[in-house]
Amino acid sequence: MRCDDVRDQLDDLWEGEVPGAVRQHITQCAGCARYHRDLRLVRAGFRLWKYEEAPEPSLGFAERLVRQLSAMSKGPSVTDFFERVGRRFVYATLVLTFLALLALALPPTGPVRGLSAADIQISTQEASLAYSDLMGESNIQEFPEQAPGEAPAPTVPNEAK
Amino acid sequence: MEKSEAQVADEIQWIKRAQQGEAEAFGPLVQKHQHRVFSLVYHLVRRRDEVEDLAQEIFIKAFRAIRSYNFQSSFATWLSRIATNHCYDYLRHERASRVSFYWQMGENSQQELETNAESQPEQGLDHEEQIVLKDLVSKLLDRAPEDDRKILALKELQDYSVEEIAEVLRLKPTTVKVRLHRARKRMLKDLRRWREENEGHAM
Repeated sequence: MRCDDVRDQLDDLWEGEVPGAVRQHITQCAGCARYHRDLRLVRAGFRLWKYEEAPEPSLGFAERLVRQLSAMSKGPSVTDFFERVGRRFVYATLVLTFLALLALALPPTGPVRGLSAADIQISTQEASLAYSDLMGESNIQEFPEQAPGEAPAPTVPNEAK
Repeated sequence: MEKSEAQVADEIQWIKRAQQGEAEAFGPLVQKHQHRVFSLVYHLVRRRDEVEDLAQEIFIKAFRAIRSYNFQSSFATWLSRIATNHCYDYLRHERASRVSFYWQMGENSQQELETNAESQPEQGLDHEEQIVLKDLVSKLLDRAPEDDRKILALKELQDYSVEEIAEVLRLKPTTVKVRLHRARKRMLKDLRRWREENEGHAM
């Protein structure tokens, strides 16, 4: 028998009885004898672990665990908190982005943001008046000061003078 | 032992209530499965002082994930799957030790241990030898690839059947058999290599 075949058979058997041919090979082959001794060593170690008693749960293990789970399920967890805050942050960012895009899309003048046409007309008139005052001439007719009840003086065209 | 129909019905009720978020309904499930989980954790991690903390984390994880339990496998198998994965997440951060009590023994003591190990260990080995042998196997498991460790621990330490291992690890039974065979072979090969390393250092 080849050493590989012997070792394969030993692995397959593991706990079982070693066949005569394998046993005979083992008595003549130092390498396979060592392999067989190692196998038995490991197997014995496994058996020791298998029969080793696991530690018992401490008194009230289940009750403590349930109390902990109850507390966890009642109060919002840290993860939930961050999830909620994160979600709100995303919503706020979306709203702000939408408003910014809206502001960019709107024309610079208009019913909402710019001056109305009437406002523009008034302000143009005011500006031209201010300009005339500065220059000392006025195209607007001014009436002379008069006493109450007195008839206004007739205006004479320049050509008649 | 066959579970009675009433026990099965009770368990289904507890699971359904726990799936609605009722922590109190999870209590009887913990009571029922805690010994199995403690045993599994102890055999996978092999550190007595870590067992209760890990078991607690496993049950918390199970409660949080209980809505995903769909009654396809038994609750015990589902819980074992969570426990196995959790223990190996924990072990992934642990480094395998290069030192074992076995290598500190003299050659004669090693031979004596091997001879005594041939009989049933409870009869042939004294307390000190049992500690040495358990330490050697534990270190070998620590050194083994993760898949080998899982399958060997479930089979050799937890005494699960091939079918149970297949369910826990979501594999086919034939795959489990092949992997088990390879895992044993690799472990023995590693022992031989480790022995050579230690003999080399001893010289």
